[in-house]
Amino acid sequence: MEFRELLRGPGPVILDGGMGTMLQAKGLKLGEHPELAALEHPDWLLDIHRAYVEAGTRILCANTFGANREKLKRTGKTVEEVIPPSIAIAREAAAGRALVALDLGPAGQLLEPTGTLDFETAVDIFAQQVRCAVSAGVDLVMIETMTDLQECRAALLAVKENSDLPVLVSLTYEERGRTFLGHSPACAALTLEGMGADAIGINCSLGPREMPALVEELTRWTNLPISVKPNAGLPDPGGAGYDITADEFAAAMADLTELGVKCYGGCCGTTPEYIAKLCSALEGRTIREVPRRVPVAVCSPVCAVPIDRVRVIGERINPTGKKRMKEALLRDDVDYMLGQALEQTQAGADILDVNVGLPEIDEAGMMIKVVKALQGVTDAPLQLDSTRPEVLEGALRVYCGKAIVNSVNGDEETLEAILPLVKKYGAAVVGLTLDQKGIPKSVQARMEIAQRILNKALDYGIRKEDVYIDCLTLTVSAEQEAASQTLEALRRVKGELGLKTVLGVSNISFGLPARPLVNQNFLTMAMTCGLDLPIINPNLEAMMAAVRCYHLLMNIDTEARDYIAAYGNATVSTSITAGAAQTAAPAGERTLDRIVAAGLKGEVPAATKKLLETMDAMAVVDDVLIPALDRVGADFEAGKVFLPQLIQAAGAAQAAFEVIRERLSAQPRGQKGPKGAIVLATVKGDIHDIGKNIVKVLLENYGYPVIDLGKDVEPAAVVEAAKRHAAPLVGLSALMTTTLGSMETTIRLLQEAAIPCKVVVGGAVLTAEYAKKIGADFYAKDAKESVDVARQVIG
Amino acid sequence: MPITITQLNTDEVLRYMGCPPDKAGATLRLQVDSCAQELLQAIRPRWNYRVVEITLAPEGVALEGGLLLPGEDLKAHLAGCGRAAVFCATLGAETDAIIRRTERLDMAKALTLDCCASAAVEAVCDRIEEELQGKFPGCSFPFRYSPGYGDLPLEVQGPLLDLLDAPRRVGLCAASSHLLTPRKSVTAILGMADGKIEEKKRSCLGCPAQDSCQYRKAGGHCGIS
Repeated sequence: MEFRELLRGPGPVILDGGMGTMLQAKGLKLGEHPELAALEHPDWLLDIHRAYVEAGTRILCANTFGANREKLKRTGKTVEEVIPPSIAIAREAAAGRALVALDLGPAGQLLEPTGTLDFETAVDIFAQQVRCAVSAGVDLVMIETMTDLQECRAALLAVKENSDLPVLVSLTYEERGRTFLGHSPACAALTLEGMGADAIGINCSLGPREMPALVEELTRWTNLPISVKPNAGLPDPGGAGYDITADEFAAAMADLTELGVKCYGGCCGTTPEYIAKLCSALEGRTIREVPRRVPVAVCSPVCAVPIDRVRVIGERINPTGKKRMKEALLRDDVDYMLGQALEQTQAGADILDVNVGLPEIDEAGMMIKVVKALQGVTDAPLQLDSTRPEVLEGALRVYCGKAIVNSVNGDEETLEAILPLVKKYGAAVVGLTLDQKGIPKSVQARMEIAQRILNKALDYGIRKEDVYIDCLTLTVSAEQEAASQTLEALRRVKGELGLKTVLGVSNISFGLPARPLVNQNFLTMAMTCGLDLPIINPNLEAMMAAVRCYHLLMNIDTEARDYIAAYGNATVSTSITAGAAQTAAPAGERTLDRIVAAGLKGEVPAATKKLLETMDAMAVVDDVLIPALDRVGADFEAGKVFLPQLIQAAGAAQAAFEVIRERLSAQPRGQKGPKGAIVLATVKGDIHDIGKNIVKVLLENYGYPVIDLGKDVEPAAVVEAAKRHAAPLVGLSALMTTTLGSMETTIRLLQEAAIPCKVVVGGAVLTAEYAKKIGADFYAKDAKESVDVARQVIG
Repeated sequence: MPITITQLNTDEVLRYMGCPPDKAGATLRLQVDSCAQELLQAIRPRWNYRVVEITLAPEGVALEGGLLLPGEDLKAHLAGCGRAAVFCATLGAETDAIIRRTERLDMAKALTLDCCASAAVEAVCDRIEEELQGKFPGCSFPFRYSPGYGDLPLEVQGPLLDLLDAPRRVGLCAASSHLLTPRKSVTAILGMADGKIEEKKRSCLGCPAQDSCQYRKAGGHCGIS
């Protein structure tokens, strides 16, 4: 019987038990590679598999858990040498009584951002195993013992793109109900079901007694069959033993039938005896049909956001109408976007829209870079915003979790290009009620487009609840009757089609005075018509207040908890004074230069604005900020202040520059020609980049545009950036002796490419002599010296 | 045996931050203490160990099972020891994430958290050492020794982690450049001798960073080597 039939059939599916611990019991010595058992101890392997089949196992995992090219490196064997015989032995032992699974364990290195393994490389590692297993002939794939949801995704994509095999995906959780990386069962369930796993589960780490809470959590978030393969209890640190017996194991496992678990097996420390007793314990038990009520939701790897109330989508990461964001995109300044992301989530955004479309840049490349960087710093799920399928596919591939795709519309061509991507990567999708003929005026025509989008999505196998409709906000100053039509369409989409709704709100007031008034009221009206996902600027308190009040008044915010948490100590002004100009914040006693020197970041914006009333922006920079920084720098050199104070001053100055920059992009005259850009990178192989990031802040303070390539940067990428930005100076950092080689290679490539730039290097293990030896022009012992070097090179 | 750290040594954190403790004002100390508390709330130290027989081979120290830890320095360090406890400890990936996020908001705070995390992982190792010493009464233990000290290369990180089943047990891996990931992690070898052995002092002499060490320049010591 095929695996999918077993899952559909009545009764439990019996998996196998531990392999590594069984091989050790057979005599595998410390330091021997269990992956090579098929080559070195085929008789042991055959015995173990046979014993499991005798015990009642219906799915045998071939001994391929660590048979990937990363882990096999140390053994001198290849995937092609190891996987086919491993599968053949399992097949022989199965003798038609059990199915054989390709077992895929972790690649052995952590993926970005915690580690350095690139997502596509991970996909490729698993794809090689899958292709090899397909030609050897397996019945299914079991992805197991994963701690990183992103690695699960890589493995699952590899299976889907290289086979049509059924696949069971299982992660390993700690007692707190999270993986080592903090990923949750809810997020695993939403993501993996979306991507087409046939069953999902839990294995290793814990014993059967720790399973019920995790199983219950999974059942809240998935409709898929659930698999459980715990260890023989909890391990003793320092030893190889586990703490519960086969009888205890079997009894605890059999109780899981009450929670509706479908597949039962064991992991480390379990033996054929455990599986045999498990089979007897399950005999006569029926698996309880537990009704599942999975909410509509999106997620990142650590945060699931059910759309069971109004959820705010932050709109700020989008260059449309935002000069500062455009500038950041043109300069590859991903940090600016990260700052925008964190500001919005702190203000209360649940989901962040990400749009990096500018004609001058490579949107696809930038989207991938920004999505990866955002997921490194924020737990909020993302809404990937582009109309170009290639941009969306790039983003969906690297996005870990269940994203929202923004957007498709009623145009057939768009639907056919984008919906298959939504399906493949398990996302939700926003459908705009427009088509090639434009935005229909009538409510009925918008309903028809919504229906068309829904039907097409269903055709592609996308679930109804994953289709969200945007009825489109038109500017009320241009078409005053349009607002009520949008609201009516929204109400009908929600009521008649039963779909979740999205709406960009801010457009409504374009061209009107006191825009926040209009926006806030329109938002409230839309929510009462059934709006689920407003796309707004969450930094505007009035907008978040409207959402909180809606939840309060509709009895969604139970006991007014959120409302009181937000406003318990607030004094709220209820009036907007007509015609009043923004008054400057009261001036403090201290002058800006003292505030910067003291590192009092919080006081900076007001003091800077005050100064700008009487001083030209460039004069503030040249006559106040730079001299203040110079004084702190000189004190640092003299040993009067130290790194923490230097950085605090730099952070304060940065806040001042941000105010000035806003002023300058509002009135672009009077700007000096920009200084040459400095390219910074932490070299290939190195992930310790805090020093480089400190250098960046200081350099930016002195007005140098910095192209920050991040950490673990390929030498060729440094050359490319130096060339593209015509950088007069390149700064490289490395922390460890093992990565100094990458630094040397990078410098050599720069020289070979004849890039007319100087190179400055820094990092804990570097010395001036070593810097010279590897061909660097300068060695900077600390962040302050990097600035001195920049001044010398660039001026 | 979960390890919980409730306090960090503020002076040690200040040294990591490049500030001599006697030059740190009250504000900075308060900032360190508040970051220390924030970090300690967030971390989940995990560790694992394994006791193995060791033999001193001509080219280094051979562990039971065949793994060779090459070089002269560890060999000299383990003179008189017949066994060693190999252990690993990590604060986990979420610690890296907190520091990464804070870097985008407040670099001074990020530096403080980073240095608190360095101090915390050392504190975890101290506790592991105590725990292990308690398990083997009557033994003597030279101080713990990690890859990167003296001439013990970082290349042994991967094999040591394999020996400890560290990726599966505690979620700790080595990158292809042999750096530990998550970042705030340690592997170490704690020698064990059945009788008394000559007491060894930690020193900077064997450290590859000795010429350019920022802690020494700040008038101190990193606390590690």
